[in-house]
Amino acid sequence: MKCSFARFLTLALATPLLGLGIFPFRTSAQGLDPAVLLKPPTDTWPTYNGDYSGRRHSTLDQINASNVNSLTLAWAFRIRGSVIKSTPLVVNGVLYFTTPDNVWAVDARYGHQIWHYHRASEGDHIGQRGVAIYKDYVFFETPDAHLVSLNAKDGTVRWDVPLADGKLGYFATMAPLVIRDHVIAGVSGDVTDIPGFLVSIDPESGAVQWRWNTQPKPGEPGSETWPKDSDAIRHGGGMTWMTGTYDPALNLLYWGTGNPNPVLAGEGRPGDNLFTCTIVALNPDTGKLVWYFQPSPHDVHDWDAVQTPVLFDAEFKGQPRKLLAQASRNGFFFVLDRTTGEHLVTEPFIEQTWASGVDKRGRPVAKPEATPSPDGALVSPGSDGATNWMAPSFDPQSGLFFVNARRLFSVYYNTVTTKAEGWGGRDRILWANSTIRALDYRTGKVVWNHEIGDGESIAGILTTAGRLLFTADNSGNLLVLNPANGETLWHLNMGGALQASPMTYQLDGRQYVILPVDNVLYAFALPQK
Amino acid sequence: MRNVSILLLLSAAFLLASLDLHSQAQGPPQASSEQRAAVDRGRAQFQQACGFCHGPDATGARGPDLVRSALLAHDVNGDLIGEVIRNGRPDKGMPALPLNAAQISDISAFLHSRSKEAIESSGVPSDYPFEKLLTGNADKGKAYFEGAGGCSKCHSPTGDLAGIAHKYNSIELQAHMLYPDEKPVLATVTLATGEQLSGTVSHIDDFSIGIRIGDKNGWYRSFPRSKVKVELTDPLAAHRELLPKVSQTQMHDLFTYLYSLK
Repeated sequence: MKCSFARFLTLALATPLLGLGIFPFRTSAQGLDPAVLLKPPTDTWPTYNGDYSGRRHSTLDQINASNVNSLTLAWAFRIRGSVIKSTPLVVNGVLYFTTPDNVWAVDARYGHQIWHYHRASEGDHIGQRGVAIYKDYVFFETPDAHLVSLNAKDGTVRWDVPLADGKLGYFATMAPLVIRDHVIAGVSGDVTDIPGFLVSIDPESGAVQWRWNTQPKPGEPGSETWPKDSDAIRHGGGMTWMTGTYDPALNLLYWGTGNPNPVLAGEGRPGDNLFTCTIVALNPDTGKLVWYFQPSPHDVHDWDAVQTPVLFDAEFKGQPRKLLAQASRNGFFFVLDRTTGEHLVTEPFIEQTWASGVDKRGRPVAKPEATPSPDGALVSPGSDGATNWMAPSFDPQSGLFFVNARRLFSVYYNTVTTKAEGWGGRDRILWANSTIRALDYRTGKVVWNHEIGDGESIAGILTTAGRLLFTADNSGNLLVLNPANGETLWHLNMGGALQASPMTYQLDGRQYVILPVDNVLYAFALPQK
Repeated sequence: MRNVSILLLLSAAFLLASLDLHSQAQGPPQASSEQRAAVDRGRAQFQQACGFCHGPDATGARGPDLVRSALLAHDVNGDLIGEVIRNGRPDKGMPALPLNAAQISDISAFLHSRSKEAIESSGVPSDYPFEKLLTGNADKGKAYFEGAGGCSKCHSPTGDLAGIAHKYNSIELQAHMLYPDEKPVLATVTLATGEQLSGTVSHIDDFSIGIRIGDKNGWYRSFPRSKVKVELTDPLAAHRELLPKVSQTQMHDLFTYLYSLK
C-alpha cells in the first residue's frame, strides 16, 4: 500500500540502514494498518463498503462521463459453480473475494490467482459477502457460522473459531468489519427460532471481546416489547446479516438487525419485538447500546432492517447534521440523526400497500389486514423486500441517495395450526419489477427513476467522483448511469446478471471497476495507451 | 423501460420462483411407512410420558419447548435424548423415565419429525386446504368480477374459466387468479422507412427489441430501440393494474366465486 510504504520510507531514511547500503525492503510491509480505514487510499478498497460510511462512493474520476464510452475489459477471473455475491477487498494490489466456503486472492492488476482457500462446511450456502482484513490477516465467515482467520500472504489458516452452533440453524454470510483491534462479526439464521447477536473478536487470538444480543434479557430495556410468561423472546430472531457502518468521530457502530421469529406468525409475540428489524448504534469497544430506531416494529413479513445504514454529513432544514439513511426492506426510506438517533424522515421509496401511515416516532404503521392470514393477504412488498442486501449509494456530488427498488406483490399465508415455530407460513410471489431510484435525502422523494425491467434485481450500486453510477438491469446489461438524472451513459450485455455490488480502485495510475457477473469477476478500465 | 413482461431473464426468474415454490410444496423425500409408524408410536408415547410437562406437540407447557432445543438439534437417533429420558434432569425437576430402547427410539423419531415440521413451515403445503381460502362471499365476488374488477372484459366463467378450480391447487389458484402465467406481449415495430412489423416480444430492454414475426412460432428479428418506434400490448396489464388496488375482501370474494366455477 502506498501510504504505509511511504511512511516506511520516511522511517527508513531516518535510520542508519541506508547509510549501511541495506535496501529497505520490509517483508512484513504488506499489512493493512487499521488506522488506514479512517481514510482509505484510492489504491485500496479495504472494507466491504470501501470505507466506514457505507456510501459506496469513490473519489476516483479517471473513468468519467467524458470517456466511459471507451470502457474496456482489463481482465476476467472465472470460478466454477457458485454465483459471486461478494464485494472484493483490495489491499496492496491483491484482490480478495469469496463465495460460500471459498476465498480467492487475485492479482488486482492482472487477474491471476495468488491463492485459493476452500473449507467444506455444513449450513446454509445462500451467499457470501466478502472478507475483512486487519494487518496481515484475512477474516472470513462460513456457512456453519465459524470465523476463520487466514494469512493474507498465502491463505493458510491462523485460527478457526465457532461464532454460534450451526446445528441450531445458525450460519454466516456477512463480511466482518474491522475497527481498531476489533473484528465485528454478525450471524445469520432463517428457518429456525434462534436469537441473533453481534460479536467482537480479537484479531490476534480469536477470543470474544464482547457480544451484543439482539434480544434483551428479561427485565432489560426493550424486554417490555415481548410477551411476559412466554419463551418468545428466547426464540427471537434478529440476525445481523449485513456489514454495518462506523463513525470514528462519534465512536459509534451502526448495525441493522433482521426479522423476529416465527417469521410470518406473530401472534405468539405481541409487541414491537425489540431489537429485531432495528437500526442500533453501539459502542464498538464495549458493545453497549447507545440508541436505536425500529423501521419495522413487530415484523410479520420477513423485512429485515439490515440494509446498509449509510452515513453522511449534510444540511437538513438549514442545519448541518450528521445523518444516517437507510432504504429499508419494508419499502420505506429513513433518515436519522446519527448522534442521537432522532428521527428526521420516513417516506416510502416505492409503492407499498402495507402501511396506513407513520406514527409520531417515524415508524410505519401496519394495516391489520396486511398481516399474513390463513386465507392469504395480498401485500407489496413481498418477503424478498422492496430492496435487500444489494448496496445502495450516497453521492455527495449530487446529494442523492440511490437504491435498487422492487415493486413486488405477494400473497402471505399464515399456515400455523399449533404453536408457531420457524416460519409459520410463507408468501407466494406473484410479480415483481425493479428500478434504480435517486432519492432526495431531505424528503425521501424520488428525484429520478430508471426502470430496469421485470423480475427481482439484486444488483448493487457504486457511484464515483467521475459522475458515474454503476449497476445493471434485469436483461443482462451492465449499466453506467448519470447520477444527476438517471440517463444511461454506457451499457454492455454480459449475458448474465450482476448479483453483487460493484467496487473500484486505482493501481499504477489505472482505475479498475469490478463488476461480478454470475460466476465471473470482470475488471473494466480505460484502454491502455 | 415500460412494464413489459416476457424478458428472458424474467421468465427464468419466474420459472425459478415457481420451481422453488413447487419444491417447498413438495418437500423432501417422503418418509417411509416404517418411519411414519415410528413417528406415530413416538407421538403416542410422548404424549403419555412427556406431554404433561412438554405439551402434547412438544412445544412446551410447564417444561420447555423441545422442538427447537439444542439437545434435539444435536441428537442422532436418540443418542442424547435417550440419556436425558433414562437419567432425567433432577436439577430441573424432570424425573427419570423407565422407557426401553424401542420407546426412546420412537420418541426420538417423533421429536425429529416435529423439528422438521418447524423447519419446513417456510413452505405452504401443496395440499393446503381450499376451505381455508374460502372466506369470501361468492355473490360479491361475482359482482366484482362483472363490475369493479373488470375481469369479465377478458374472462368468462363459461369460457376460459370453466372448471378453473380443478386446474390448480389452492394457493396456485389464488396466485393465478391474481397474476396468471406469463403471456406473450405483442409488439408493433415501426422502422425508419415506415414499414411496420408485428409479432410477439422475444426480448426487450432499453437498447434492443427482438420479436417473432406474426406469432411465437415466427422468425426472429431484432432492432435497436433508438432506430425504431415500438408499441406494446401487454395482455397482463390489467392484472398489474389491479394488484395495488384490489382489497383483501375483494380478493377473497373473487376467489370464493372462482372456486364455485367447478
